[in-house]
Amino acid sequence: MENTLRQKAKGLLESGEVKVVIGYGWNRAKTRTTPVFITDPAEAESLVWNPLCVNNLSLYLTRKFKEIKALGRPAVVAKGCDIKNIVVLMTEGQFKREDVFIIGMTCSGTVYRQELWKGELTPNIMPTKCHNCDVRNPHVADFVVGEKTNFTPPEVPTGMVFDKIKELDSKPQADRWAFWVKEFSRCVKCYACRQVCSLCYCERCITEKNMPQWIETSAHPRGNLSWNLTRAMHLVGRCTFCGECERACPVNIPLNLINQKMIGVVKEAFDFKSGYDEKTHPPMIVFSPDDKENFIK
Amino acid sequence: MNNIYLPNLVTIEDIYEEAPDVRSFRLVFKDPKLRDTFEFKTGQFGLYSAFGLGESTFCIASSPTRKGYIQCTFRKTGRVTGGLAQLSIGDTMGFRGPYGNHFPVDDWKGKNIVFIAGGIGLPPVRSVIWNVLDRREDFGNITIVYGAKTVADLVYKEELRHWEERGDVTLVQTVDPGGQTPDWKGSVGFVPTVLKEAAPKAENSVAVTCGPPIMIKFVLNTLLELGFDEGSVYTTLENRMKCGVGKCGRCNVGDVYVCKEGPVYTAAEIKKMYNDF
Amino acid sequence: MADKILKKEKLGALIESVTGKGGRFVAPTTDAHQVVFKKIKSADEVAGDYILARNSFKEFLFPQTEVVAEFTMGKDSVDMRGVEVHAPQTVVFGARPCEAASLAGMRALFTWDFVDEFYTKREENTVVVTVGCTKGDDACFCTTVNLSPESTEGADVYLREAGDSYTVKVISEKGKKFLEAHAAVFGEGKAKEDALFMPEKIKEVDLAKVSARLKDKGHYDDPVWAKLTRKCIGCGACTFVCPTCRCFDMVDEGTAFEGERRKNWDSCQYDTFTLHASGHNPREHQHQRWRNRFMCKFHFYPEKFSSKGCVGCGRCIRVCPVRLDITEVMVEFSK
Repeated sequence: MENTLRQKAKGLLESGEVKVVIGYGWNRAKTRTTPVFITDPAEAESLVWNPLCVNNLSLYLTRKFKEIKALGRPAVVAKGCDIKNIVVLMTEGQFKREDVFIIGMTCSGTVYRQELWKGELTPNIMPTKCHNCDVRNPHVADFVVGEKTNFTPPEVPTGMVFDKIKELDSKPQADRWAFWVKEFSRCVKCYACRQVCSLCYCERCITEKNMPQWIETSAHPRGNLSWNLTRAMHLVGRCTFCGECERACPVNIPLNLINQKMIGVVKEAFDFKSGYDEKTHPPMIVFSPDDKENFIK
Repeated sequence: MNNIYLPNLVTIEDIYEEAPDVRSFRLVFKDPKLRDTFEFKTGQFGLYSAFGLGESTFCIASSPTRKGYIQCTFRKTGRVTGGLAQLSIGDTMGFRGPYGNHFPVDDWKGKNIVFIAGGIGLPPVRSVIWNVLDRREDFGNITIVYGAKTVADLVYKEELRHWEERGDVTLVQTVDPGGQTPDWKGSVGFVPTVLKEAAPKAENSVAVTCGPPIMIKFVLNTLLELGFDEGSVYTTLENRMKCGVGKCGRCNVGDVYVCKEGPVYTAAEIKKMYNDF
Repeated sequence: MADKILKKEKLGALIESVTGKGGRFVAPTTDAHQVVFKKIKSADEVAGDYILARNSFKEFLFPQTEVVAEFTMGKDSVDMRGVEVHAPQTVVFGARPCEAASLAGMRALFTWDFVDEFYTKREENTVVVTVGCTKGDDACFCTTVNLSPESTEGADVYLREAGDSYTVKVISEKGKKFLEAHAAVFGEGKAKEDALFMPEKIKEVDLAKVSARLKDKGHYDDPVWAKLTRKCIGCGACTFVCPTCRCFDMVDEGTAFEGERRKNWDSCQYDTFTLHASGHNPREHQHQRWRNRFMCKFHFYPEKFSSKGCVGCGRCIRVCPVRLDITEVMVEFSK
């Protein structure tokens, strides 16, 4: 697969079809993958593909990265789950389908965190999203690398995140509140969750708006709660459960839980899952007379 | 405990509308002892608090030769300045300072002085102007080149009139092209260009400039072209600050901390600095 | 003085001895699946098997958020009160030699003409007990910045793992007093010390060259900065876990009637960090912000404060979501 990927990247750069290939390369010690930006066809050799390729590179397609945008039309190496984010970005008008060349990678799962890698991909080091993945064969791509896989996700989603949601849902409200207050109490307000999220592309985040100060910037319980809840709300109907925010969080706040919970709520209320179809707009930005209004009490 | 972040309370004694969204406060310390003992040097700055909203950094726009009060001038742009703009005469605000270095006015005795300012860059220069005018006999020719985007944006209009009328100051006022009014008698053009035309003589002269960063860069070049010595051209950098005392880490231009080693620099010092402002 | 040892089974007694006198005992403990420095109460909370804590212990000297003043808005005036620093007697146990070396720079900065007593009072009341590393990973690079698991810079007491004991070395006067105050817990004798983990020195890094290149202003607009740091997402996680990063913000919070002024951690990696009111931003691009951080570590701190800006703990590498490795930039600037 790696070879096909490199050949394709090289070809795309040589023909001038794209100016930069956003992909994965090795770090200095070759122990971890890291995003690379290939502009020289000769450097396409440094692209790698393996289960350590955890980053969602769709991030670099957003308007947050002006210097990358300035390089010219990009090709992006993307797993099915990353492509979901690209789709959301397109439905939200961030760029057009033809503005980016998607090199879709057939995927059999990645590690939850790179430091868990011991040389073999075992189910216990894979994140919940991989166990339930329905896009191991990239669903939107200009070129697909890898043999088609015939993995079918379980009918009822399984994995730690779903188990934990079930457990929390069964508890009284006060307990759930206490759980989240405790989890958010660790927040250091570094905003890594926001920065790593390709769907957090606002030029001016609400935390930076201080007239009035909507969210207190201090890392105290009030400020932490308002930040984390606001961010969760801003991702409703958009988040694809790529898991980057939880991975980036330096204090291990289980953000996947809150995001997956909201995904469930949206599925229930609107029968919508984000990131599959570039033609369908997310429910929060469209009005439909058929909308169930059962949340208005 | 000595709390370096604790401001002193000051009362707003008077408010002057300078230009659209630009306002000056005349401030008096609440503590009578401090009112009598407070000293600063021209060019130093302070942090002004609107309680509940935060602190903002401005220079002290009044001259140390005028005792008993300090003046600040600010443009209403953000949270703190927006809050300050809502205060009225008699209200309380906070002040920490004075911080930073100063213009070495005492070293300029017998010299000609050229002041060049743009827009809201006049307040720090104003402190020097009054410092110099209050001991006029110590200095040679005094030239002031001041410009703003439009006529309305010129600050200290009363004082500009006074400087124009007093006879011992050459005042050149300018507005950017398109910013003039039908009865505008000053120049039209950007400050560096107008400065070049005015061509103050460089011999035995010092220059003091402040304005938007881009203006400062061009003015410094123009002054050097006019033959000014790098060591005799002064400017004041106004970077974003939170602490004012060398701790918070954001005002540095390369390895130079503006709050501690500035804000006043000569062109020679600026030249040695990183291109980071 | 005879050789001292601390039996590991006596750790509980040490904690009791410290907390019994009203002090706080901070040690690496497991919380939310990671080892972090936290205030603990008993020996069984102390993590045994760790490389180093995810956070640095700086938050016990320089908290993430702290109130410096309080105010109440009256009808005609404002009542404002400075807040006294809360500086309990603190023992930081199990810090690594690398991170302890950050204290000199912190102190230099916080006492640079104006003394920030919120920092100094806490630091003065803190005893740092380091434990030489017997484990490490590929992010450790203390030896590359001229430190090692044997370094004692910044430590008050230096321990070495020795089977069921620690060997004890008093480094500072504060450390000596600490041992005297808790004399009953420490024993006398010798123990065979476990082998230390020595990270391999990155041979392509030449600190003198890095420093020389940073001093030469020609590098400033070198496109290599943008190239090396293109992947940086500006999250600032590196600055939050870094033991030497100490930039902060000052904010007011509260209602129209009362409030407080807080000193909060901030990060030079944020685009609003240096943003002027006019909209001008001296560090508009992420690579400029990254350059500032790198220069702060390898140029400003060593030059201005004659102290280490980087101690090689590797936290920034481990925590970086895009694995931007500071040692790779060091290698580039050693060329």
